[in-house]
Amino acid sequence: MLIQFKNVFVHRDARVVLSGINLSLTEQRIGIMGPNGSGKSTLIRLINGLLLPHSGQILVDGRDTRQDVRAIRRSVGFVFQNPDNQIVFPIVHEDIEFGLKHREPDAATRRARARVALEQLSIGHLADRLTHTLSGGERQLVALAAVLATEPELLVFDEPTTQLDLRLRNHFARVLSTLHQPTIIVSHDFELMQTMQRVLVIRDACLAFDGAPGQALAWYREHCA
Amino acid sequence: MKTKDIVLVALFTALLIVLGLIPPIPLPGVPVPVTLQTFGVMLAGLILGPVRGGLVLLLYVVLALLGLPVLPGGRAGLAVLAGPTAGFLLGMIPGAILTGWLAGRPVAQGHLAQGAGVWWQVLRCWAASMLGGVVLVYAFGIYWMAHVAGMDFPKAVWVMLVFVPGDACKAVVAAVVAQRIRRLNLV
Amino acid sequence: MNAAFYVVGQSPIHRLPAGRKLATLALAGAALMWVHQWQFLCLALVLVLGLLALSGVTFRQLLIQVRLLGWFILALGAYSAWAESPALALEMMLRMSTLVIAAQLVSMTTPLTQMMTVVEKVLAPLDRLGWVRAERVALACGLTLRLIPELALQWQDIREAQAARGLKPGVLTMLLPMLLRTMRRAEELAEAIDARSSG
Repeated sequence: MLIQFKNVFVHRDARVVLSGINLSLTEQRIGIMGPNGSGKSTLIRLINGLLLPHSGQILVDGRDTRQDVRAIRRSVGFVFQNPDNQIVFPIVHEDIEFGLKHREPDAATRRARARVALEQLSIGHLADRLTHTLSGGERQLVALAAVLATEPELLVFDEPTTQLDLRLRNHFARVLSTLHQPTIIVSHDFELMQTMQRVLVIRDACLAFDGAPGQALAWYREHCA
Repeated sequence: MKTKDIVLVALFTALLIVLGLIPPIPLPGVPVPVTLQTFGVMLAGLILGPVRGGLVLLLYVVLALLGLPVLPGGRAGLAVLAGPTAGFLLGMIPGAILTGWLAGRPVAQGHLAQGAGVWWQVLRCWAASMLGGVVLVYAFGIYWMAHVAGMDFPKAVWVMLVFVPGDACKAVVAAVVAQRIRRLNLV
Repeated sequence: MNAAFYVVGQSPIHRLPAGRKLATLALAGAALMWVHQWQFLCLALVLVLGLLALSGVTFRQLLIQVRLLGWFILALGAYSAWAESPALALEMMLRMSTLVIAAQLVSMTTPLTQMMTVVEKVLAPLDRLGWVRAERVALACGLTLRLIPELALQWQDIREAQAARGLKPGVLTMLLPMLLRTMRRAEELAEAIDARSSG
């Protein structure tokens, strides 16, 4: 999977949010770091067309986000920071099946696919639970299962471990290692970033560092502390 | 209807339901405890406008009829449709639409001089709430009740007048609260 | 949330498909409008009470739901007897009681999910015509149900926060913060839903 940013500029009101971004992303595990307000959340929202650039292009496997948003969203799974924003239906399996409505007209197949996605994360037992009774960690896994059920080709995570305690963070790292799709992760979590193949640092709307995790973290500590 | 509109309608309907589940407030001197339902009609219309406000009430009524215990006191079901108060329940939908329509679009900050401009907006919201949330809802309710019980329409109106002062106060609160939100242009 | 309302059971009434129950109710309701003799209306009431007994829903359970309506019917009946005639009042009271009990019986023996299936079926032709997008309706319903417990918690949170600050939390002071939070939430939720929908 190839993601390309070509001369991307984004501004909101009078403020420049991203400036002159040129990237070619192919690695399996890519991390994105940056101080708050640096533009990294905007960067990943450009990938599946939640935001559009004011100039420049973003191509996902050759598809332009300005033209082919639907096709792109079918292949990009986006997991938000707050799982509460992502869970839409009151019962877990309903919520997972919701994302499948368009790909799978048959209700029984949807049910089966939902179950598979839940089992993949070892939370099959939560299928009939009411979503508001889930713990924070369970909710996050359910949100992830909902995305996985759609069988995306690329996964994008927006700060997945910020609200998790140590035990859950470790669990997340284990889960991550079992996923075969290429993933892009925005995070402040240094330990998580260590496991990436390539780390980008966004600072002041620009790409400030691009390289191996060890060096990226060292650079970050030095310039963004 | 954008996704955000659907989300706003759902959020507001849920809010209405949660407000409705708060036990009714008994006020001294008023024979019937004050429920927050008419409040919901006013707020939905004032904040979301006629279309989305109407949809909020439609969703609320449909969910109540389908069996979600969201009517005051945790009640629900089709019985309401068969009973004499059906008009009041169904009337909430056109009530919200009228309120929203009369209140007009929110005026962005800065377009009106402060002071007088704000008071005019509040007054307009109050009038919209009274006409939509009270007059129209009662009209539907009383018409149905009269039709079903063979009651004299004017006599029924006299009976309902008892509730008007309480509702007028609710309309004031609704107008003031809604005005604060409308000004922010969040929707 | 459903606990107190839908009465779990396996009676013949419970097992009837929801669509059939609703259609029968509608037809019966329309039919009764044309019946004016109190004897027939009495018969209808007895029949409905019989069905109630058959369903396993106790009278007490039913009463909790329709008590308010019951008072209304009595009050209207009294007024009608005084203003019009006792015969007319009786007719009205019998008819209305029958319909109210029948309607509530259907509601209390049909779980929400079955009702929603009926709604889906009703909306399907409209969806094909392009008048209504059934998927959006389902989304709105699901989202509302999902948000109720969460907003209830938020209400508690705001109340605690205000009490901690020394303010006396009443409905009026809590309404504005509640509304503000609600409106802001819409933005985030919409974004997440958009990300998940590809059609």
